[in-house]
Amino acid sequence: MRTGVVALTLAVLVLAPLRAAHAQFSFDARRIGMGGVSLSRDGNVRRYNPAYRAVKNRSNITGAPKFSIPVPLGLIKFLKDHPLSQLSHDPTFTPESAAFNPVELMNLIFNPPIFYEVKAAPTPTNNVEFTIGKNQLIMNLGATRVLIPEDKFGLGTTSRLLDAGVGFAGFHVGVMGFLQYDVGFTLDSLLRRALTDTVVGFLPSTNYTILGDGVAQAGFAPTVSFATRVMRGTGGGTDDADDGVYVGVAGHYYMGGTYARGRGPAGFTTGNPIFGNTPLGILDDTLYTSNKPFGHGVGGDAGIAWITGPFEVGFGANDIGAELTWSDTKVQRIHYNPATDSVTTTLLNNHVQSKTKMPVTYIANAAMRMGTGTTVGGDVVNSGRGTAIHVGVEQRTGPFALRGGISRDQRKRVQFGWGGGLRLGPFGLDVGFWTHSNSLSPQRAITMATSISVY
Amino acid sequence: MKPFVTALLALAIAACGTGKAIFNVDAYSFMSGTGRDTIHYAIPPGGGTASTVQKINLPPGFGKSIVDSVRITTGNANLFNTGGTGSIGLGLFFAADSASTYTTPAALQVSPKAVSGVQGPVPVAITGDLSSTVNGLFTQQTVWIRIAAIGTNSGATPVTGKGVLTALVIRVVVEDRIF
Repeated sequence: MRTGVVALTLAVLVLAPLRAAHAQFSFDARRIGMGGVSLSRDGNVRRYNPAYRAVKNRSNITGAPKFSIPVPLGLIKFLKDHPLSQLSHDPTFTPESAAFNPVELMNLIFNPPIFYEVKAAPTPTNNVEFTIGKNQLIMNLGATRVLIPEDKFGLGTTSRLLDAGVGFAGFHVGVMGFLQYDVGFTLDSLLRRALTDTVVGFLPSTNYTILGDGVAQAGFAPTVSFATRVMRGTGGGTDDADDGVYVGVAGHYYMGGTYARGRGPAGFTTGNPIFGNTPLGILDDTLYTSNKPFGHGVGGDAGIAWITGPFEVGFGANDIGAELTWSDTKVQRIHYNPATDSVTTTLLNNHVQSKTKMPVTYIANAAMRMGTGTTVGGDVVNSGRGTAIHVGVEQRTGPFALRGGISRDQRKRVQFGWGGGLRLGPFGLDVGFWTHSNSLSPQRAITMATSISVY
Repeated sequence: MKPFVTALLALAIAACGTGKAIFNVDAYSFMSGTGRDTIHYAIPPGGGTASTVQKINLPPGFGKSIVDSVRITTGNANLFNTGGTGSIGLGLFFAADSASTYTTPAALQVSPKAVSGVQGPVPVAITGDLSSTVNGLFTQQTVWIRIAAIGTNSGATPVTGKGVLTALVIRVVVEDRIF
C-alpha cells in the first residue's frame, strides 16, 4: 500500500517535469552526441512524414550506419552496484530499508541505466518541516519546493504500435495500431501557494484542489498511403539522384477499441480552525467510457520533403482531422459525499454518443551535407505533448567524426550534446555525451552513450 | 478526504528524499482560549496535583512511521500564586486517550519553583526531550496531553494560585515511513 501510494505520488511529481523522456531517448551514441537530432532518413522523419516513404535511405550519403548496437556501460555498472542475487535486499528497491530513497528509485525508472551516467543529478535529501497549530498548517519543503509545478503537468503521447502492410508503385496498404493518452493535472493556485509558502501555509475554510483531466484511447486503423517524387531536381532525374520534391499522404479509418475520459477536481476543504474540524473531501469528476468498441473516424497524414544536392528539408504531420465518434458511451459522475464519507458513482447518461480527437503530431526537419565532411541538421518534433527542438552538427575527417548539438526539451530546458566517433571499415565506435533533466532535480545530469555502428 | 490529505503529505515527504519529516506542533494553540491553558491549583498540606488535559490533532498517515525524537523546543508558563508557601513544578503526560494520561509516567518534568503568598508572575521554562516511551504516540492522528501542576506544601494552609501556559511547541522528528 505504502509503496504504491508513494510510487503514484512520485510519479505525479516526476511527470510534472518529465514529459515522455523516452521520446528523447536513443540508443544511438551518434544521435546523442548531436543533441538528439537524427541526420538519417529513418526513425522520426519516416514515422511522422509519409513523404519519406519515397526517399531512399542512403547510408553512403547520410553517413548513417545500417544499425547501431549500444554498449551498455551504464547497465554493467548498475549490475555491479546492484547484484541480481541481492536484489531482494537491495535498499534501492526495498521500501522497508532505512536507506530507501523513493526519489532515487524514480530517477532510476525515468532514467534507465543503459548508458553511463557521468554526472548524476543529485538526489534531494533535505528535510521537510511542518508547522502545525490549531489553525495553522505550513509545509516547508526546503530546496525541493522548486519541484511543485506551476502549470499543468502530466504525460501524454501518441504511439503507433503497429504499422504493417504491403507496398507497390508508391502505394502502401496496411493496418496501423494506435495508442493515445494524455493525463494532465493542474494544482489550483491556492494549493500551489500553500505548498510553496513558508509563512502562511494553508488557510481555514478554503478549498484546495487538483484538477485532473485525462483521456486514453486505443485501436487500429486500416491505412492507405501514397508517396512519390513529384518533381525531379537538378540532378537530371536519374534514379540514382535523390534530388526532387517528394510528397506523401496517408488516410486512416480509425477503429477505436476502447476509450476513457475523466475530468474533475479532487481535494479538500480545510476546517475552521484547520485542526479543529475534520476537513471535507472534494471529488466531483465526470467519467466517460465506451460501452462498445469500434469508435470510428477518419484522419490523415501528410508530408513533403525537398532534396536538392546537399540540402534537404521536410515537414510531416499525423492524425490531421482525426476525430473518433463513439456511438455507445456511458457518462458517470464520481462524487465524494462528506455526509456519508463515501464515494458514489451516479449514471448520468448511458448509450449516448461522444467524440474524441487525436492530437496532431508533427516533425519539421532540415539537413545540409557539405562536401567538406560537415553535416548540419535540425528538427522540431511534437509527439503529442510539447515540442522538442534539436540542432546538431557532425564533422567527418577521415575515419574520425566530431559531433555537437543543442536542444530544447519538452520541459523547455536547453540541453547539450557532444561526442565523437572512429570508423574502421564497416564498423565504427561512437561516443556521445548528453545533458538531460530526466531526474527529480533542478540540476542537469550528463550521460555518456557508447555504441558500435555497422555500416 | 483522508487519502487525499495522506497523498499530499506523501508528496511532501517524498520530495525530501532520504531527509526527515519534522513536525513543529504548537500545542498551546489548541489550548489557548479554551481555558485549558490555565491550571488552577489548590495544593493541600503534604502536597498534591492539579492538571489540564487537551487533545491534539496531527496529520494522518504516519501510523508506520518511526519517530526519532520528541522535544519541547519552546515552552513557557507563568505561575500566579495567591496564597500559601511551597513549590510548584510541572509534569507533562502523553497518552492515546484522555484517561490514560493519568496512569502513564511523566514524559517530562520541570523543576519546581518556590512560591509564597501573593506572588507572580513566576516564569517557568518548559523545555527538554520527552521520554522516548511516548514516541509512538506521535505517529497517530490524535495524542492527548495532560499538564499537571505538581505541588509541595510544607505549611498549614493550602498553596493556591494558577499556572498559565503561554507557549508550548513540540518538535517531532520522524523517519519518512509513511502509511
